[in-house]
Amino acid sequence: MSRAAATAPGAMGTLPRRTLLPNGLVVVVRRNPASPSITLRLTFEAGAAFDPPDRAGTSEMTAATIDRGCGSLGASEIAERFDFIGASCVTRSRRDALEMETRLLARHLPDVLDLLRSIVREPAFPEAEVERERAQLLTAIAERDQDTRQVAEETLAALLYPPGHPYHASALGDRESAGRIGRGELVAFHARRVAPAGAVVVVAGDVEPDRAFDAIAERFGSWTSATAGAGRADVPDPPALPGRLARVRPIAGKTQADIGFGFPAMRRTSDEMPAAMVLSSALGEFSLGGRLGATVREKAGLAYYAYSRVSAGRAAGAIVARAGVTMAETRRAVDLMRRTLATAVARGFTPKEIADSKQALAASVSRHLETNPDAASFLADCEFYGLGIDYPGRLPALIAGVTRADVHALAEKYLNLDRCVLVVAGPDLKEEELA
Amino acid sequence: MSPANRRRVTSRATGASLSGVRRVRLPNGLTVLLREMPQAPLVSIWCWYRVGSRDERPGFTGITHWVEHMNFKGTRTIPKSEVTRRVELAGGTWNGYTYLDVTTYFETVQKAAMEAMIRLEASRMSECLYPKTEVERERTVVISELQGGENDPRSFLDKEVTGTALQAHPYRWPTIGYLSDLQAIDRDDLYRHYRAYYVPNNAVLALAGDFRAAEALRMVRRWFGPIRRGAPIPAIRTVEPEQSGERRVVVRRPSGAVYLDIAWPSPAATDQEFPALLVLDGVLLGGPSVNIWAGGRGRGPSKSSRLYRALVEGDLASEVASTLLPTAYPFLYRVTATAREGVEPQRVEAALLAEIERLARGDVGERDLERARNQFLARYALDCESVTDVAHQIGFFETVADHRLLLGLPERVLAVQAADVTRLARQRLSALRRTVGHLLPADDAPANGPAERTT
Repeated sequence: MSRAAATAPGAMGTLPRRTLLPNGLVVVVRRNPASPSITLRLTFEAGAAFDPPDRAGTSEMTAATIDRGCGSLGASEIAERFDFIGASCVTRSRRDALEMETRLLARHLPDVLDLLRSIVREPAFPEAEVERERAQLLTAIAERDQDTRQVAEETLAALLYPPGHPYHASALGDRESAGRIGRGELVAFHARRVAPAGAVVVVAGDVEPDRAFDAIAERFGSWTSATAGAGRADVPDPPALPGRLARVRPIAGKTQADIGFGFPAMRRTSDEMPAAMVLSSALGEFSLGGRLGATVREKAGLAYYAYSRVSAGRAAGAIVARAGVTMAETRRAVDLMRRTLATAVARGFTPKEIADSKQALAASVSRHLETNPDAASFLADCEFYGLGIDYPGRLPALIAGVTRADVHALAEKYLNLDRCVLVVAGPDLKEEELA
Repeated sequence: MSPANRRRVTSRATGASLSGVRRVRLPNGLTVLLREMPQAPLVSIWCWYRVGSRDERPGFTGITHWVEHMNFKGTRTIPKSEVTRRVELAGGTWNGYTYLDVTTYFETVQKAAMEAMIRLEASRMSECLYPKTEVERERTVVISELQGGENDPRSFLDKEVTGTALQAHPYRWPTIGYLSDLQAIDRDDLYRHYRAYYVPNNAVLALAGDFRAAEALRMVRRWFGPIRRGAPIPAIRTVEPEQSGERRVVVRRPSGAVYLDIAWPSPAATDQEFPALLVLDGVLLGGPSVNIWAGGRGRGPSKSSRLYRALVEGDLASEVASTLLPTAYPFLYRVTATAREGVEPQRVEAALLAEIERLARGDVGERDLERARNQFLARYALDCESVTDVAHQIGFFETVADHRLLLGLPERVLAVQAADVTRLARQRLSALRRTVGHLLPADDAPANGPAERTT
């Protein structure tokens, strides 16, 4: 095993170190002695994108039940062991990854690693726990369908990615898919996807790196998976949109509408990402929300929030513009957002807008490494997506290299209002009214 | 304290970040807290004001929060476009919030930008402009924020239960305010509120990060020193009368689930019973964070806690949580739950109250207490990892009471005994002092439909 230090400038604080275990598990450690605490983050290639067809929600249910029985321990014993030492363990299913984040006092690291070893390698998925989680999932689905923000986000994904694409279905699934997921599905999903190859463990906090490497190798080094494939899985890019798609999702009794424009964009590893970050910052993030914030919130007073983001994963992601507005102003806000986007494409951004966004993005990188949870999240993302743990150190220079022309070209390439998705959740409008 | 619990609480055990705070009072009354933390080249600056929704009156609810919004609109020396731009160009993050007792603004930036941020906060204290056009634009933004909150049925139930449980104290209305007041408040109302409360003798400036305290203090004196002291702020006189019977509220709103919200009177943060309530909540639900900014960031439910086992593992609820805030005056301790699909809320309520009864009967073991104490101490440390969290915590507690209250909490929590928890459950969490709220789905209910109340 090789234990390499990343090359990163000193402004990024303590350099992280990385090692690859023979079974394919990557371990990253970043020491931070400022507080007697540690964040431990495990990332597996087991997100909702890997749910079996017709069984959306499998990753979600796996995340919810993986710590409800393992080896000789029942759910109560596991919970008691975490809680008695004041540690927390949160499991989440995201689009590409299933994540476990544990926060603990540094002196409890060996005990927590023992517990995680058993949870990750020997989960029992007891029948009663699976049934309980299914019932909870049905409640969560019912709540989601009444939430304008969640409905807007789910509908954007469903339109950007056609049926059959791994990003199309909701991570929670629906009532039908929830009924098709039983203990057998979770056991099979775990065996197939929760494996050392392609997984990442990040330890951020008050621990000597060599001690952490040894402790993890001792618990996870002998872990092999018979059914899981080695290396990183690929997720295909979606086909081009056929044109402009608009969808209204009325929800009775709501007082605020959620609006979303979605534009197909690039993968997380794309060379275009630094320019896309600058584009999104200028469009809807910098200061009070970039141009979208300036027009929709600050000048028109239509929204409490108006912003943009770039969401990119294993497959090509999207540039998304969002706003939450008073019901009666929905059409006006849609028009204003559309005009703002069109202006960005036609004229690009001013030199000041580009310079501001570049400086803010580059200067903020070190802040994203300040706390243990932030550092663990950032480094896990860098490793999981193949960017390298030196990415935080390289990112400021990558951003500095972006030109105003690059950003304008990217806006012209991706912010195509004739080939995008528009979603409105809340009001009962006709889709033609949004044209 | 029993021998088993007679442990020394070291700063290392509870998060060294909170010791070593220097407090200075400027001649104009401004309280300055300084904590050197050279762990990263960052500085966090929080400027706190002792003004919250408690300082409002009917007809003007929401004005404190709206003033907070207006104070991002530019000052006599810093144009609106520069207020947040300067922070972000320094690689910083910024925000502000308004709550029951406080209004605050913060910037966490590269250390080289510290003086620029101190200057920004000094300008925000004394030089904001309040142009009428900006007031009108922000009116609809604030109303949009209110409507976004009302989209969430849990938020709606919270408002109804608070307004039912508290009948006199100004904590009873929502920080966002009522729609009618937000439609009526004008520019002069806002400016008067700003001028009355944004004075150095009503403020706390908390700094944590990579600086030398003497140098930081020079900067603070330079920019805040010339600001004149204001008139003293009147104290809140109203004391909530003691509740002498259960109150119930049933809300009908479009909703995907049935929600419960049960509230009991909670003591102020300075009350000697506050640490015991932290431990009681630890036994019931794993204990709250006393950092309302971190707010249990990234933590899931405590799955060994009594209410998780009774309600979630008991197949009655999909979620159960609690809220206990460090407040300047008595407020509310509350437990909320989401009923599992098909489960009557009465069954969830009965199981929840049975666990309260259990505490009141004295069923609190030494392991329960030790777990609750351990969870508190761990969370106390985990919620103070960053310069942002440390500056928040010392500033928040100084504004509400005294930052030394925060430093002393671990010792006081370790001193809590089973008898304290039992007494608290009997006295504070009695049936006579509770307010029970249910939110039931009503798909045909109008968005602003009335709530039903029974007392």
